[in-house]
Parts: sequence; C-alpha cells; structure tokens
Amino acid sequence: MGDHPGVAGTVLIVDDHAGFRRSASRLLEADGWEVVGVAADGAEGMRAARRLRPRLVVLDVHLPDGDGFEVAARLLAEPDPPRVVLVSSHELGDLGELVRRSGAAGFVTKAQLSGPALEALLA
Amino acid sequence: MSGSAETAPAAGATAVDGGSIGAGWRGAMLALGLAGLAAGLVALALELASDQDDALPTGLAVLSSVVGWAFVGVGLFAWWRRPDNRVGAIMTATGFAWFLHSLVAANSAPVFTAGLVLQNLAIPLAFSLTAFPTGRIPTRPERLVVAGAWVWATLLTLALALVTVPGPGEPENLVLVGDGGGLESTFRVIHESVIIALAVALIGALGARWRTSSAPQRRELAPVFGAGAAAAAMLAILTLVDATTDSTAASNTFRALTFLAVAGLPFGFLAGLVRARVVAGRGMTTLVQRLGDVPAPGVLRDALADALGDPSLDIAYWVPEAAEYVDAQGRPSPLPGPGSGRSWTPVEREGRRVAVLFHDPALDRDPEAVRAAGAAAALALENARLDAELRRRVVDLRESRARIIAAGDAERRRMERNLHDGAQQRLVGLALSLRLARRHVGDGSPAAPLLDDAADELAETLAELRELARGLHPALLSERGLDAALPALAGRSTVPVSLVATPGERLPPSVETAAYFVVAEALTNVAKYANASRAEVSVARENGRAVVEVRDDGVGGADPAAGSGLRGLADRVGALDGRLEVRSPAGGGTVVRAEIPCAS
Repeated sequence: MGDHPGVAGTVLIVDDHAGFRRSASRLLEADGWEVVGVAADGAEGMRAARRLRPRLVVLDVHLPDGDGFEVAARLLAEPDPPRVVLVSSHELGDLGELVRRSGAAGFVTKAQLSGPALEALLA
Repeated sequence: MSGSAETAPAAGATAVDGGSIGAGWRGAMLALGLAGLAAGLVALALELASDQDDALPTGLAVLSSVVGWAFVGVGLFAWWRRPDNRVGAIMTATGFAWFLHSLVAANSAPVFTAGLVLQNLAIPLAFSLTAFPTGRIPTRPERLVVAGAWVWATLLTLALALVTVPGPGEPENLVLVGDGGGLESTFRVIHESVIIALAVALIGALGARWRTSSAPQRRELAPVFGAGAAAAAMLAILTLVDATTDSTAASNTFRALTFLAVAGLPFGFLAGLVRARVVAGRGMTTLVQRLGDVPAPGVLRDALADALGDPSLDIAYWVPEAAEYVDAQGRPSPLPGPGSGRSWTPVEREGRRVAVLFHDPALDRDPEAVRAAGAAAALALENARLDAELRRRVVDLRESRARIIAAGDAERRRMERNLHDGAQQRLVGLALSLRLARRHVGDGSPAAPLLDDAADELAETLAELRELARGLHPALLSERGLDAALPALAGRSTVPVSLVATPGERLPPSVETAAYFVVAEALTNVAKYANASRAEVSVARENGRAVVEVRDDGVGGADPAAGSGLRGLADRVGALDGRLEVRSPAGGGTVVRAEIPCAS
C-alpha cells in the first residue's frame, strides 16, 4: 500500500516465466515490497532464499524442476523459514487439497497478484 | 519343410525310399547283409565244432547267431531308411561284433586267442544304442557309461586275455604272459565287477533320461529303453551267475535268457518304428472322426495333440495380409527360435499356407505323421484360420482405437500446456501491467474506469481460458494423478460431493484420463439433470481393474443413449477394454459405473 519501497518487507519471486517475474516485480515494488531477488526454478529458488533470507517467497506451483508444493515444503523446513505464498495461473479450486497441505501461508491466482492480496494472506 | 530348434530333423532322414538311393548304396547294403549272414554261419560252425568242455549246446549256439543276425538285419533296415542317422550303423556293427565272441569256441589257437581279445566288443557298441533315436548320445552320464564300456571291452579284456590260462579242452592262449602269474582269478573278478557296475550305471542313466523325456519322446523310447534296460540287467545277472556257480546248466539257462533279452533290442527298435506308425494311424482315424463337424479351436488343438501324442502341440494361423502367424485369439504367435526346444511344421491347403503346428522336436523324426495330421485337419484349420484372422482384426481395431484415443489425449495435453505456457501467461502479465497502470492513474482520471473495465474483461477472459484448458486436459491429473485431481473435481461441483475412495496410487495415463472424464461427465450430469442433493464418487483399484462409480440421490431416469457425453465416454472406456454402465431407474437416483482394466 505504501508508496515507499521496503515498507512491506522483502520478497523473492520464483517462477519460470520471465514475463511474470518482470511484471510481478514491478507491481509488488509499486505496492511497497522490496523485491530482493528472482529465480527461475526450484533449485535456484532454494539457493536464493538461503542467501537473501527474504520475508516472503512468492512461489509458482509449476516449476521446470519439480513442483512448487515440494519446494514450499523444503523452504518451510529450513531454520527460521520465510513465509510462502503459492501462485499459479490455475485457480485454487484446480489444485484440490495440495495448497492447504503444503503449509504455505496461502495462494493467489497470478492475475490477482498484488501487494494488498499478499498482505491479506500474511496477516 | 520343417523347422527344428533342437536337432536337425532333415527331411532327407525320412523322405528316403529305396528308389532314391543309388544302386551302389543298395549293393553295399546287400553285401553287408550277406556278410552278416556268413559271419553268423561261421560263428555257428565254430560253436558247433568246438571241442571245448563248456561249448554251447546246439540250441544256444543257434540262438546266439540269431541274435547277431537280428542286429545286422534290423540295423541295415534302419540304416537304409535313415542313412544319416547313426543308430542303424551302430546296430549293424553290434551284430557283427556279436559274432566275435564265438571265436573263443574255436579249436584253433590263433582264432581262440583272437576271441579272448575281441569277444566283448559287442557290449560297448550295444551300449552306444543310447544314441537312439537321434544318432547322438544326448546326456553326459550316458556318454560316460559308453566310454567306460569301451575301456572295459578293450583294455580290461586285453589285460584279462594276457593272464587267461586255457581251461580243459581249450587251445593254447598265444598271448599268455608267462604262466599268467596266477592273476587270472583276480583280473576276472575286476573284469566282472566293472561290467556289472557299468550295466547298472547304464540302467540308471536310461532311467534319468526317461524321467526328463516328453510324452512323444517316451512313446518313441519305450520299446528300445525297455529292451535295453532288460538286456543290461540280464548281462549283469549272467555275469554274476557265471562268477558264482560252476553249474553249466544254470549258466546256460541264464545265457539263453540273456541272449533273448539282447535280441529284444533290435526287435524293440523295430517295434518302436511299427508302433509309431500304428499309433499315428489310429490317431489319424480318430482325428478324422473328431474333425467331422466344425470343431471349436480348442477341440481342434486337442484332437491334433491326441493324434500326434504330443500334449504340448499348439497351432498358429497364417494371416497373409499381415504376413504373420497368430494364435486362435488373434494375437501374434511368432515361430519358435533356435534353442527354444520347439519345432514347427507348416500346414498348406491347395497350395496356400494355412497354419503352422508347434510341436515337440521328437515328432521331427516322423514328419510324415505330422504332415498327414496337418493334411487331415487342413479344412478345419482353414476354418479356424478365418476365425483367427477375424479375431486378429478385432485385436488390431481395439489397439488402434486405444492408440487413437491415447494420441488424442497426448494432443490435448500438449494444447493445454501450450495454452498455459503461452496465451495464459501473457494475459496474466497483461493483467498485472494493467493493475500497475491503474496504480499510477488517480481515481478521478477519465482513464480510470477504462482501465477497470479492461481489468474486468481480462479477468473474464482468463476464467474462460482456464475453463477451456480444464476441458482439454486437467494439468493436475497428469502431474499428480487421480488422488489429487478428484478432490479438485469434487470441490468444483455445485452439488455436494463426498469422495468415498481414490486409488491411492498412479494408474496408467489412459486409465486415469478415462476415469477422470467419467467422473467429470457424471458430475456435470448430476448438476444439470439429476436434481440431486448429494453425490458420491469412488475410484478404486480392484483385481487389476479401475472401478469408477458415481452415484446420486436424484430423480434418475437418465438415458445413456440420449446424451452424447456418456456415449463418448462409453467409447473411450471401451477402447481400453472396459465397460461403462448406467443404472438410472425413475425416482431411484443414478449410478454410473465404469470398469477399466489396468495393464500394470
């Protein structure tokens, strides 16, 4: 919501589509998040999360090297883990029980992504 | 033309008749026959003229020559019938060698001495008849016993001859070393013990081979093995009797019995040949009777198996358009390869290939019988062939239908993925950009409502696109299987759905897809027509089949033939060899049930 970057917190975006990484970064920066990094697959995402220690990881459920549910579980098993919000171009209903079981803080359909949407899930 | 995976059956081995053999060959056979006759007469003369105290009585002497003649005669007959099989030659040689033991009856010292050295050569030759019926001694124990018999008949017999002191009335032993050194009795005990042991070992080896033989092989082996075992047993007993009694009467009685048992060998061999013909002939009559009506495929196979005495017999039918053999169910049935231990004989009718009989290699030695059985059954086989050809086409169609559906599924999955990775991602990017643009435009700006409208429109478009992608192929299904996809499906239904069971494991992709679409279509129908308050879904694996059931408590009366949705699903399920049934009594709810075999 804030007009100043860094107010809401640090975020890492993990998604294999460069276009999404770009527009999501711009939008979340505009909504007051500090985008500390982006990653194109699960392995890179894990490494970036350990190095950058973001407050939040926005994680695509569909990654080239596996799926986001597994990456989420691994991220959440780390000491002092980040919060995780899963995103997909599918709807929550298309994913059945998987999101609930993943331990992630929540899920946003990609087209609905915004700073306020994330903050609502993290509240 | 006959193939074998084991020993070369060689059409030549049996197609031979007198006319196709050269006159030289026939002359040689005739000469051997006459030589055998003469040798037998000489042996008889030596026995009858013998001045020795233990000379054979006339009856036994005659019997002895008859035994030799039987070997020579039957041996030559077998040799003439199957020149490339050594059994005939071995038997002929046995006959000639048999006469050698009469040399010891001679009154002349050189002939007597030669007899002492050569008298036992018939024994290893007779042992070599374990080469029956192929001409090769098949097992290691048998080869060892035969090798032992050769050592015994040559080295041990020679050693005994060197120390044998002639008895009363016997001429001089020209190879006696010194005075024999008193070794004769010791050597004789060794000599006798060894041949008794070899005879017993031969019986054991024959028994072992018998136990591992197939039914047609046993039918062929029975008379020869029976006679061979009896002769070996009598040889052992006679040796024992000779060694332990001084009674000439007892010795001669057992000698007569042994001669008769040994004579049984050539006659057993002859009986084996005749018996195969008689059995084949009788089998053929029964076969023709059994094939009188149009037989079922199983009956046809059984009839042929009985006629040829080969329970392992199998039939494959020729399908010209595919240039391959198929079994009665229409499944490909390739010819047995080398080393498979199976043989095959093709059946033709009016010059066209009809079928092939897979059989025991033992039948290769009687290919006329197999061909005759095939010829007798040719018409029935042709009928069965048409049936098998039709079944093959059904199998083909079923497979191609499954392939078409699998290819369609793969294409839909590919389209879904393209949609997801392409248009959907671009529109998502567009939606985010619009939202960002809207952030920069104040609420009072004239552009604000335009951007809001565009965002709404885009959201609708994305929703429609998702619906389209779902209908093409649910991504979750291919990634996670029914366990993940069914809860999502149940969750989207407008009627409350309880998911009673999911498979708990991945099923073959085509089965998962079919099961998923059955549930999806059934739930769509529940929502549209059933007026139900709730529905139950279960997909479970039972006895290698995926059983899919969707039941509701609605109004029933659904007609599966009316909706194209369910009929398309019935086709899809049918392509996987499954069944789809709909029970929908008016007012009694609806049950849609599919059973789909899972290949793995």
